[in-house]
Amino acid sequence: MEYKVFDRTKPIGEFTAQPDDDLIICRCEEITKGEIRKAVYDGMYTINEIKRYLRAGMGLCQGLTCGRNVKDIVARELGISPAELEEATPRPPARPVTAKVYADCRGEED
Amino acid sequence: MKRYDLIVIGAGPAGLSAAIEGAKAGMRTALFDENEKPGGQLFKQIHKFFGSKEHKAKIRGINIGGELLKEAETAGVEVHLSSTVIGIYPEKCISVNRGDHIENYRAEAIIVATGAAERMIPFKGWDLPGVLGAGAAQTMMNLHGVMPGNKIVMMGTGNVGLVVSFQLLQAGCQVEALIDAAPRVGGYGVHAAKVARTGVPFYLSHTIVEAKGTDHVESVVIGQVDEKFRIIPGTEKEMEADTVCVAVGLNPMSQLVRMTGCEMKEVGGLVPACDEYGATSIPGIFAAGDVSGIEEASSAMIEGHITGLAAAKYAGWIEEDTFKTQVEERTASLEKLRQGMFAPQNKGKKIEKTDEGLPVSASLLERGYMDANEMETYPGVVKKEGVHPVIECSQNIPCDPCQEACPFGCIKVGERITDLPAVTEDSVCKNCGACVAACPGQAIFLVNEDEDGTYGTVTLPYEFLPLPQAGDRGKGLDRSGRPVCDAEVVKVQDTNAFDKTAVLTMRVPREYAMTARFFKKEV
Amino acid sequence: MRIAKHPILGEYEKGRKVKFYFDGKEMEGYEDEPIAAALRAAGVTTHRHTRRNGRPRGIFCAIGRCTDCVMVVDGEINVRTCITPLKEGMRVQTQYGLSAKEGTEE
Repeated sequence: MEYKVFDRTKPIGEFTAQPDDDLIICRCEEITKGEIRKAVYDGMYTINEIKRYLRAGMGLCQGLTCGRNVKDIVARELGISPAELEEATPRPPARPVTAKVYADCRGEED
Repeated sequence: MKRYDLIVIGAGPAGLSAAIEGAKAGMRTALFDENEKPGGQLFKQIHKFFGSKEHKAKIRGINIGGELLKEAETAGVEVHLSSTVIGIYPEKCISVNRGDHIENYRAEAIIVATGAAERMIPFKGWDLPGVLGAGAAQTMMNLHGVMPGNKIVMMGTGNVGLVVSFQLLQAGCQVEALIDAAPRVGGYGVHAAKVARTGVPFYLSHTIVEAKGTDHVESVVIGQVDEKFRIIPGTEKEMEADTVCVAVGLNPMSQLVRMTGCEMKEVGGLVPACDEYGATSIPGIFAAGDVSGIEEASSAMIEGHITGLAAAKYAGWIEEDTFKTQVEERTASLEKLRQGMFAPQNKGKKIEKTDEGLPVSASLLERGYMDANEMETYPGVVKKEGVHPVIECSQNIPCDPCQEACPFGCIKVGERITDLPAVTEDSVCKNCGACVAACPGQAIFLVNEDEDGTYGTVTLPYEFLPLPQAGDRGKGLDRSGRPVCDAEVVKVQDTNAFDKTAVLTMRVPREYAMTARFFKKEV
Repeated sequence: MRIAKHPILGEYEKGRKVKFYFDGKEMEGYEDEPIAAALRAAGVTTHRHTRRNGRPRGIFCAIGRCTDCVMVVDGEINVRTCITPLKEGMRVQTQYGLSAKEGTEE
């Protein structure tokens, strides 16, 4: 699938506040719509950047609930379709695991 | 590292079916699921399934789940529960969290059948306790026997929203309203109609403005939206409710399969780009069920079988010929389900006419029930003397158990299972109720329009408690759930063959025989 | 809030009755049902208060994915109560941010 590589030299205008900016989008990390919108104007044009910048989608649920909503918000600010925006890179562990459990890896040897 | 011939991730309808095929082909097959119990969402589906006999139509999801589990056991599938796959690698290895540690496994082929997660639409107060997914409500009541709340507002009129609303009513909850931002009901009309006739109002072109409350939902503000889904000021309406269920669609859970680096595509959610047998762009990695595109459980099961066969062929466990014959049969069966108005290719399209060229009921789409004067448009609704079936089925959905249910040949669906059922002209109905109980959409009524010059009778499906008894008096409700006449129950049939759909006959004034469609006991 | 008898499912198969403690208060539930189900049946709907804004949260997905229903269980934080089976004598506490409030133990 071809994702849009956004031309970062093109200006996208100024951030303007919206009445529902205080709406919680990422429930785990409590990141609002306004924070996500602002981050785009701070230069975060990809979902991976938004994730690292704000922690949206980086909480316990790993973006299972908010992933799509974050994508929709960012795409709208950039004026592109959400389908053109690559989702955050999925990495293990896909579910919350404590470090103690994660470190106890058995059956490695072949 | 422990090796298997085939690893399947996810023990829902697709995963179980895939694993069964692998094991049947002789592969050492392991099936991993993060849940304590297998079956995915099947064990929450307490309604009768649509389709044909070959799709296990008119059998409840819970019972189909039980059958699949038995089949998997017989085939020799190793089922690992409470085993969460947390990583998958292109070398066909997986990491699994089992209790207090991680284990790694490798296989010749891996089938990812991780299903879907509920989509959410944020609104003010959506993080308050009392706002939950429709699937969550289903889990609470159907698996754990706990009511998710008392007064419920359902957001979404797709099949999930409609089916869960009905289940909430069955569990004893009050459904205050069904809300949808779209101007039309999204799911099957028959699912909407069985909710509407109990008296639940539908608000199309409406959305939730806010869920209010301090520690829990206390009320819900809804508002009408314009064609761009913006709330029209001044249309807000506050209703008392303690629970909001959200059923606005599903997202394929493709995070895990994406870790393999396989090619992806966007089809109402991000899904792996697969060939017709479920093979991804990475050799030996397959996907089946909702993870590769949202459909019904019946389709997921067939997809699972096909992908299981494809994986067996890939790893050299079955011959090309065997593969071809078996897959052909399954594909034909799948094609039958993918016809009609709700077929995947028609998603989002506004369909104004049935395949028969009849107008689709506008009232059904806008209010959840058909208008009395639209009825006679459809081939299942005829007026005649004596008892006869009235089939209020007006959309081309893949379903035909009614045809087989009638031992007297009164009902004919026709060539394709999506054709509208018709009442045959020379039929003689014996008022046995078999079709009433068999219809997964609860859309068949047996009506005697004129019993004795004063009264008529209506026989209807009834799946609530307490079950009325012969002699009970109350009101006959019309299709919108409005009480329209006095009614007396004259007969209640509740046989094993009806599988918990009681068939209730009520006597009503004859002028209401084509209007009254539900019974409410006087209290 | 428990469904006594269901028109399709009849009576629910449940484990034996067990006692557990919610913020020090003794409650009853059925063994091996999810902690969240026992709490809902007992009328408890707030499982935690969020770290940043202190907002109450409860059951949201009921299948262990959204992690909104996490609580402190037997001293361990972030336990998904919707998929963790209830056991006799379990100590379940409301989670504030990443810990239980002091003094809610006994």
